[in-house]
Amino acid sequence: MKVHRRLLGLAGVCAATGGAVAVLATGAQAGHTRASAAAAPKQIVVGTLYASSGAYAADSLPQYDGVKFWVNQMNKSGGVYVAAYHKKIHVKLVAYNDQSSPTTAATLYSQLITQNHVNIMIPDFGSVLTAPAVSIAQDHHQLLFDATASGTVFFTPNNPYIVGSGIRNSAFWPQPLVQFLVAKHIKKIAILYDANDFDAAQAATLDHGLKAHGIRPVYYQSTATTTTTYGTLIDSIAATNPQAVIEFGYNTNDVPFLNTIPTSGHRFNMVFTVFPGQLPQLFQQEVGTKNLGYTYTYATPPLVPYSKVNLGLNTAQFSRAFKHSFPSVPVTYPAMAGYGTALIAQEALAKASSFTQLAMRRAIGNESGKLTTAIGQFKITKDGAQEGEFLPVGQVFPSHGGTTIKVVYPTSMATTKAKYPAPKG
Amino acid sequence: MPERDADASGQRATRARQWRRRGADLAAVLVPTVLFALARTVDSNLLLLVTIMVYVVLAQGVNVIYGFTGYLPFGYVGFFGAGAYGTYIAVAHLGANAVEATVLGGVAAVLVAVVLIPLLRLRGAYFAIASLAAALALSSLVSNPALTSVTNGPYGADLSKVFSAGGSYWMAVVIVAVAMLAVVVLRRSRLGLQLRAVRADQVSAGYAGVNVVAARTGAWLLSALLAGLAGGVYAWSISVFYPTAVFDTTISLFAIVFALFGGVGTVLGPVVGAVVLYYVYNAIGVSDPQYFQLIFGVVIVIIALFLPGGLAAVLVGARRRLALRGGDVR
Repeated sequence: MKVHRRLLGLAGVCAATGGAVAVLATGAQAGHTRASAAAAPKQIVVGTLYASSGAYAADSLPQYDGVKFWVNQMNKSGGVYVAAYHKKIHVKLVAYNDQSSPTTAATLYSQLITQNHVNIMIPDFGSVLTAPAVSIAQDHHQLLFDATASGTVFFTPNNPYIVGSGIRNSAFWPQPLVQFLVAKHIKKIAILYDANDFDAAQAATLDHGLKAHGIRPVYYQSTATTTTTYGTLIDSIAATNPQAVIEFGYNTNDVPFLNTIPTSGHRFNMVFTVFPGQLPQLFQQEVGTKNLGYTYTYATPPLVPYSKVNLGLNTAQFSRAFKHSFPSVPVTYPAMAGYGTALIAQEALAKASSFTQLAMRRAIGNESGKLTTAIGQFKITKDGAQEGEFLPVGQVFPSHGGTTIKVVYPTSMATTKAKYPAPKG
Repeated sequence: MPERDADASGQRATRARQWRRRGADLAAVLVPTVLFALARTVDSNLLLLVTIMVYVVLAQGVNVIYGFTGYLPFGYVGFFGAGAYGTYIAVAHLGANAVEATVLGGVAAVLVAVVLIPLLRLRGAYFAIASLAAALALSSLVSNPALTSVTNGPYGADLSKVFSAGGSYWMAVVIVAVAMLAVVVLRRSRLGLQLRAVRADQVSAGYAGVNVVAARTGAWLLSALLAGLAGGVYAWSISVFYPTAVFDTTISLFAIVFALFGGVGTVLGPVVGAVVLYYVYNAIGVSDPQYFQLIFGVVIVIIALFLPGGLAAVLVGARRRLALRGGDVR
């Protein structure tokens, strides 16, 4: 036993020494970076995270590609213009793989700030993977250019270190959908949503919006975000005889939901899901024309093109250039959000009179409402939340063996009329 | 006279052994604690250090419940999440400061453990699966929109008003010390002996007068307390989080693998496992996750098949072989 204890003690010391060596090495690296940061920057360091696996990979990877595309564009043109130095500076991208784990993301955000000393920080896709960055960034006075997180807890009056640069708070998304349902005189509506910030906020907005028009949903139920088996839930929804079924989930929920409806034996006049408009290629592949046809979704860029922009490429130009740079990657909304967010960071650098995070925040705040990029208008609240983006209602139409998504509401943006009720077969 | 001399000599040897044992115990508590306390002077990534400390505490918690009782809790993350949300509720609704809230996070996890005591009637794979189901149920409960007024439901928890990178770091150091002390005391205590007896053969232990249910329950609650404290300090350190972040089953898996790798039933084994493997994860897992997952999988298989005692058993075995070889030479 004595030998045993001595050896365990030795093992502990070895492990601790190993740990100490590792931290010394990283500390030395940090010291080196700090020293060079004191001089005029030779490069603008952009830090971001991406998820190559896990629940958020399908959205995170294209967002990362969008940022990479912007970095390549900038460096091809001689760098990004930094007003504080009156010159263009080369851009360096530092990216780590968090594998969709918030715990891993938290330590990597900390690493980007404390060891890589990034100048521009773009968090990973969505609220769950952005959340660990918020307080760390605020504590280190690092501005976050939030691309696709719409969490209601992020944007507070006492935190100037976050700016919504891409996606609008999801609570605003269903507003056109409410108007569409009211305009179609659809009164019996079933709402199924996942118990997460992104989806619950949409469900609450839809519920309140409908109630304001005297419509009480016949089914209003949450389910776990990990849900992938929808048979029983669809049976319960069908029992309420709804005229429209709205499912708010992530793409990992939307795919099984849409695939389960035909096998359940039920048929609905209208089915709405969130992600087919953002990831049409994925849904075409995973759900197929038959199950996807005539369902509804949010229509996002590039389905909704912005031809008149005053910052960066317009939607069509971006689609062409992106396809050229990344031939195997479909042009999707997350890719455009990554690019659009990087453009906002670019504008902050171009307008800030000094090379500090708060100066960038002030500068970009002054540009609110004045900028239009390939993903729409950039307009933020006092707390930094994006409010300029508008998501019309789109419907999926079968075409040439595949599907296309067309805007059906509001009528001012519509490219065709909605097929309601959905044709049989 | 020679007999009296032999007695005195034996007593001196016993006392010396006791003092050496006490010194080793003290070192087992102090060395990791002091090293973690000093680590911030060489690594500016405080969150990485806090995360490692959190995993050290979790691995010790797994050590308490698995190493001493043989119950493998795949749903151990349930206590971690309960601690994180207990901390949030203490700050948001009870007005507690961060330190008090972290302690209350530990209390919340213990309360959850009390509710889940009936799970201890199960054994082996049944217990492992039931504990996982309990953790998932707890996650769904916390994120339920109907509980928005208590847990903020799916909208996430915000502790940014009490955020303090330095404060949460020091709290984590204290919790590491508490965890180490708890395991050292347990190992030397009557309860620890009873638990080991129960683990070896619960029927015989019962006949020998050990209160099997009480002993297991004690280990269960202590294990939950450690996970709850870890969850609480983690919540404080990141301050904005969603249920999916603190009820992530990967956390359970990591804690179990770290404990098994280092060696369960020992004091320093889980610390070695957590520190070594988390640094490996941070070095390889981030840049080449596919290789890391492969390595991780192979490590789990090797431990399960050939090294049930973990790294500690390998080192002890090597030492014994060396000693024997030395004996042969003599």
